[in-house]
Amino acid sequence: MGEELIICRCQEVTQEEILQAIADGATTVDGVKRRTRACMGLCQGKTCGRLVQGLVARETGQAAADVPPQKSRMPARPVKIGTFGGPEDV
Amino acid sequence: MYDVIVVGGGIIGCSVAWQLAKRKQRVLVIERTDVASGSAGATDGFVGCYTKKPGPQLDLAIKSVQMFDTLQEELGEDIAYQRGAGGMQPVEDQTQWDMLEKTAQLQQQHGLDVRMISAQEAHKIVPGLSTDIHGALYCPDAGKVNPMNLSFAYCRAARKYGAEFMNRTLVTGFLIEDGRVRGIQTEKGIFYADVIVNACGSWAGKVAGLAGLDMPIKPRKGQLAVTEPIGFYMSPTIQCARYNVIKFHPETIKDETVLRLGSSMNIAQTEEGGLLIGGTREFAGFEGENTLEAIDTMMKRVLRFFPGLKDVHVIRYFSGFRPYTPDGMPLLGEVQALPGFYMAAGHEGDGIALSPITGQLIAELIVDGRCSHDITPFSPNRFSA
Repeated sequence: MGEELIICRCQEVTQEEILQAIADGATTVDGVKRRTRACMGLCQGKTCGRLVQGLVARETGQAAADVPPQKSRMPARPVKIGTFGGPEDV
Repeated sequence: MYDVIVVGGGIIGCSVAWQLAKRKQRVLVIERTDVASGSAGATDGFVGCYTKKPGPQLDLAIKSVQMFDTLQEELGEDIAYQRGAGGMQPVEDQTQWDMLEKTAQLQQQHGLDVRMISAQEAHKIVPGLSTDIHGALYCPDAGKVNPMNLSFAYCRAARKYGAEFMNRTLVTGFLIEDGRVRGIQTEKGIFYADVIVNACGSWAGKVAGLAGLDMPIKPRKGQLAVTEPIGFYMSPTIQCARYNVIKFHPETIKDETVLRLGSSMNIAQTEEGGLLIGGTREFAGFEGENTLEAIDTMMKRVLRFFPGLKDVHVIRYFSGFRPYTPDGMPLLGEVQALPGFYMAAGHEGDGIALSPITGQLIAELIVDGRCSHDITPFSPNRFSA
């Protein structure tokens, strides 16, 4: 438990690594993400995003709602390349 | 009072700061948001020379790529550099073949190991690649790196030498006295230095504008996709030959959508196993959202070369701005009209690969007054009449 706790399961990022990223200057979820890869995996932060947000809030003395979440991008769920890339190339 | 203030905490600003701090300069980096929050955090990590135009740009790239050999050791951090991953450009027809072959011959004269290979040979190197191609250009020496790791590694190495980073700080203007720069105005106050380096990438034109300078750097949007991690699929970084056609001979492209989106294909597998797919170059100002039109075009293009990937899932689309310049070359050096004001920006799609040499040369120029490599072809003054 404690600092060895895995926060991002997809990328196996521990609480300790996230705290280090915050100490290194991350003040947003994206800042933690770029330093640790947390939120970059298959679930795209659906599980860990809020946990990371909470840690940033706690360490920087802000309310969780004031910590910017990661930028939201397509797709909402994983989509096969073939779903978009139909048969004909242009 | 600082010796140098670097504006921009991206891949170039961090590299410049590291090289300056290493040379015992008191350095302050002013960054609008956070390190690697712009283009450095929204790109692939191609480190190769094979897409560079023969001439000064290729010579600069060759030097820079050589620096990657010792970079990880010097920075003391894992930057996920894979030396010798290879670089490949599949070609689709004789016209593309002739175009790339001509470039390859010129690149060989610059000492680059680059060759044209058959479709079968290409397929042997990358088994997932369709055999329905005309052949490929292949450069065994190309590598790849994690651009975010590299940016943070530069930043932390710079801090070890005493450089200060001020994040979340917007620059609002410059202090100019007797025709030369003396400092910088920010939301958080005024900071003094007789040397300012503008390393703001796509935003460098805007920042130069605050000093009354006209630098022709424009953002060019590149849309990308990243897939779920899969098993080992390919070693080289791959760019379809249309990338070069768009870059060097756009007049030969007939399809209006292809031209407008600048749609080609590039793909590389990261250390974690995900495939990074890119392929557009669009002028859309600072509008960075993904568009279905571009996604559709990109995905079709990937399947044209890698039909086996149709069932692999994309987990995220994203985009980054590439700092475009009219002649495709970066702006490096002091601005004649404003002594003390240096440009280190405008690398378009080459910023990651050119970051080591850019940092070194700008630091040499500032500290020693001259560079170990001729940068006059990259002069920021080349556009003024």
